[in-house]
Amino acid sequence: MATAELSLKLQASSGNRIKDFLNANLINILAAVLFLLLAFFLLYPIIAVLLKSFRGPSGFTLKYYQAFFSKNYYFQSLYNTLLLGVINTVVCLVIGFCLAYMTTRGPWLLRKPLKIISLIPLIAPPYLFALSLIILFGRNGLVTRALDLHWELYGFGGVVISQTLAFIPLAYMMIESTLMSLNPNLEESAYDMGASEATILRTITIPLLAPGLLKAALLIFVMTIAEFGNAAILGGRTPFLAPDTYTMITGESDFNMGSVLSVVLIAPCILIFFIHNYLLEGKKFTTIGGKPVASEPRKITPLIQVPFVIITTVAAGAILICFAVVFAASFYKILGVTHNFVLSNYLDFTSNQAIYNSIRVSFVAAVIGAIIGVLLAYVIVRGKFFGRTFIEMVSLSGFALPGTVLGIGYLLAFSAPPLKLTGGIMILALNCVFRFLAVGVEAGISKLHQIHIEIEEASADLGASFLTTFSRIVLPIMFPAFIAGFIYTFMTAIVSLSAVVFLVSPGFELAAVKIFDAAVYGEIGIASATTMKLVLIVMICMMILNYISKKTRLGGGIAKKPA
Amino acid sequence: MKKKGIAGYMDSKENEKPMLILKNIHKFYGTNEVLKGVSLEVKRGELVTFVGPSGCGKTTLLRLIGGFTDISLGDIILDGQRINDLPPNLRDTRICFQNYALFPHMTVAENVGYGLKINKWPKDKTAARVRELLEMVELEAFGDRMIDKLSGGQQQRVAFARALSLEPKVLLLDEPLSNLDANLRLVMREEIRKLQERLHITTVFVTHDQFEAMAISDRLVVMKDGRIEQVGTPIEIYEKPANEFIAGFVGYVNFMEGRIASIDEKTRDAVIATEYGKIGITLEQDNVQNGDEVLMVIRPESVNISLNCGGKSQNVLCGALKSYMYAGSIAKCTVTIGDRTMIIDQYNPRDAQHFKQAERVEVEIPRSVHLLKKNDFIL
Repeated sequence: MATAELSLKLQASSGNRIKDFLNANLINILAAVLFLLLAFFLLYPIIAVLLKSFRGPSGFTLKYYQAFFSKNYYFQSLYNTLLLGVINTVVCLVIGFCLAYMTTRGPWLLRKPLKIISLIPLIAPPYLFALSLIILFGRNGLVTRALDLHWELYGFGGVVISQTLAFIPLAYMMIESTLMSLNPNLEESAYDMGASEATILRTITIPLLAPGLLKAALLIFVMTIAEFGNAAILGGRTPFLAPDTYTMITGESDFNMGSVLSVVLIAPCILIFFIHNYLLEGKKFTTIGGKPVASEPRKITPLIQVPFVIITTVAAGAILICFAVVFAASFYKILGVTHNFVLSNYLDFTSNQAIYNSIRVSFVAAVIGAIIGVLLAYVIVRGKFFGRTFIEMVSLSGFALPGTVLGIGYLLAFSAPPLKLTGGIMILALNCVFRFLAVGVEAGISKLHQIHIEIEEASADLGASFLTTFSRIVLPIMFPAFIAGFIYTFMTAIVSLSAVVFLVSPGFELAAVKIFDAAVYGEIGIASATTMKLVLIVMICMMILNYISKKTRLGGGIAKKPA
Repeated sequence: MKKKGIAGYMDSKENEKPMLILKNIHKFYGTNEVLKGVSLEVKRGELVTFVGPSGCGKTTLLRLIGGFTDISLGDIILDGQRINDLPPNLRDTRICFQNYALFPHMTVAENVGYGLKINKWPKDKTAARVRELLEMVELEAFGDRMIDKLSGGQQQRVAFARALSLEPKVLLLDEPLSNLDANLRLVMREEIRKLQERLHITTVFVTHDQFEAMAISDRLVVMKDGRIEQVGTPIEIYEKPANEFIAGFVGYVNFMEGRIASIDEKTRDAVIATEYGKIGITLEQDNVQNGDEVLMVIRPESVNISLNCGGKSQNVLCGALKSYMYAGSIAKCTVTIGDRTMIIDQYNPRDAQHFKQAERVEVEIPRSVHLLKKNDFIL
């Protein structure tokens, strides 16, 4: 009797066997497809760079590396880059800490304005600061002329200042979030036990913040040494790795040497990415959760208050001045040199054409990026297959990679058949998709973690197939993450410079590249106006993003992620 | 320490002076007034509990005493000294936070010794004091442990030891038991109370749990909307609540309206006229007079419930038994009398089987009923 029933069941199900197989394995199939995409558009270009650095006209060779390590120029370039990274990281951490301390522990009155100013650079392309420094301190700069100074902005100092200003929001956001997660009662307890403000900082706050500070430091270091725009615009004759790579490729067409420089640049990034993600994972002091309360302002002793206020005011002032200057400069041919108020910079045809191109590229990138991001998040969170963490690692690695490396990688990988993409809009868009994938994926992951798998199981329990569950349950819930990934990719792509500068073809200029060229050639008005247009676009994106994260409480995951 | 007086005379005088005085304290956050004139005296060695619903201002008041929040108006006097403007690190008060706020990057011993180190105690004295404190909370074997390797109850003890390390004049406890599970909470409650009595340390305790407050305190301060509603011993608060809010806050209560029909001045026997007939009580308060409109405060456990319903003896009302929930040591009965529902707790329920089937029951109102005057409640 029992066997008869069983065979009956088996018979009935045999017709659906293929469907069942698909249903059961759809998530694995999806994962495989996504992995192929990652392998092809992210891993392959990097491997191509690596191979190119070892491949001479007659096969395997180490002579390019030999050249790198024997020529003083390259050594200087590496040294400058690392020194810039160290200085920039330290300064950004100090300023970021002071800002974060004041906005979380300082007087109520200062908290909001300081926070807003600290985050303002987020709406700007990083090279805005290089531009504003040229306007202020360049050879024809406002300050230079007013004080009749004879100094040289172009060089190491200029790059340090512009980079520092550009990376303040990243440092601030990371430190602020760790400070916010620090239970204020801990510091209050120390205060209660008789500790002074300085003692609290030394014995409680900083030791507890140390893991967070270290994480922030590593990230800032990686992003700084990889940053292209500021060093390229303000570097002058001082060599830095990222701009050197660019000149090597575009000026001398030496792909081998360019690849070597890229590998040298990528090595610390990969190292730090691993330290960041694996060694420091979970290195956080846990405390018992109570009601998280905003820290009440303490009577900060002048010994602490005065330096903190000075540092934060100078930083905030510098940020505001840079924005104001670029804004003003956008209405003059060259601010300080010509005195006619003009709108021609905004009406400039090539600038608007470049903006239009940028919007198109970023839009395509955003659509593809958001879709892939949501799907990747889904297979990473819900999948149970081997290599899941590897996929997660690869998809998050994009933004730790220097843009220049991915730029060269795409040039090497996709300029010849089987897949020739160079010269079109697609190579730019795909490059942006895979560079900025991390944020979409993270937004998706954090959204999925909010959804109990029981919801999907309930749907399956009620008889829905995998596809039905996915399209009727998962997708609607993931929609905010999709939109967030879309907008985030869009606004990051539209200001990004370091990779696309290798990939733009003549006659199809992007806004970021246009600003770069204009700044280098001294067309300050055009550069400023184009920058302001980008600022406006990013600002609108931010507002939409904010609105969505408020509506869906998706917040944290995206807003805190660095650019 | 203060100078000792001759033959203890000064000492006894000293002991009568309150340790902590709050004088007409107001606190504004912007235009929002969270404390609306709070005055209180806390005696030496006394355990006083601030209790009230969330948002009543109890935690703010505690933080004001600790110095973490600025006071808007009024004075705080600690052992005869006005401490309004002293920051927490210069006040002789110590606080124990709800989440213990133990330093996660330090060991148990380092946590307990933190205040001593800050106050520059010599190393050997610090070590001895830490040992003494850990023995006191029975954690002497745990000195080298990191904080996250302790259970919740152990963490609570470390926090307690740390707060006591510098022998503060007043100990402030902010909902110290709310992160523990129910059984441990009872154990720790007793331990804290024992230790507090042994050390004779003046303590201000904050909780939202009225039963915890009653069990642990010498006196309760019941707060609502930034004001003190009543100060009194647990017995006073429970048996003689000042108003309807307090009566309902410290336990379930049945209210019954009535008018005092007569008072026998000699025996203090009184008769209350209600819509269900006359109820005889023995007055234990003197704030009511003949003819007053009153609200009788009838506790569920003070009412006798029985099965026979017919005899017309005094204080006995007849009602319909709407529900009878038997739970072993207690049975919860819901009885409707007229259009009023009464909750009655029957302890040691004997005739449960019969009650389960009963429809009409007899309810006997006790003679020891507390009365609220009309202006103490809102009709």
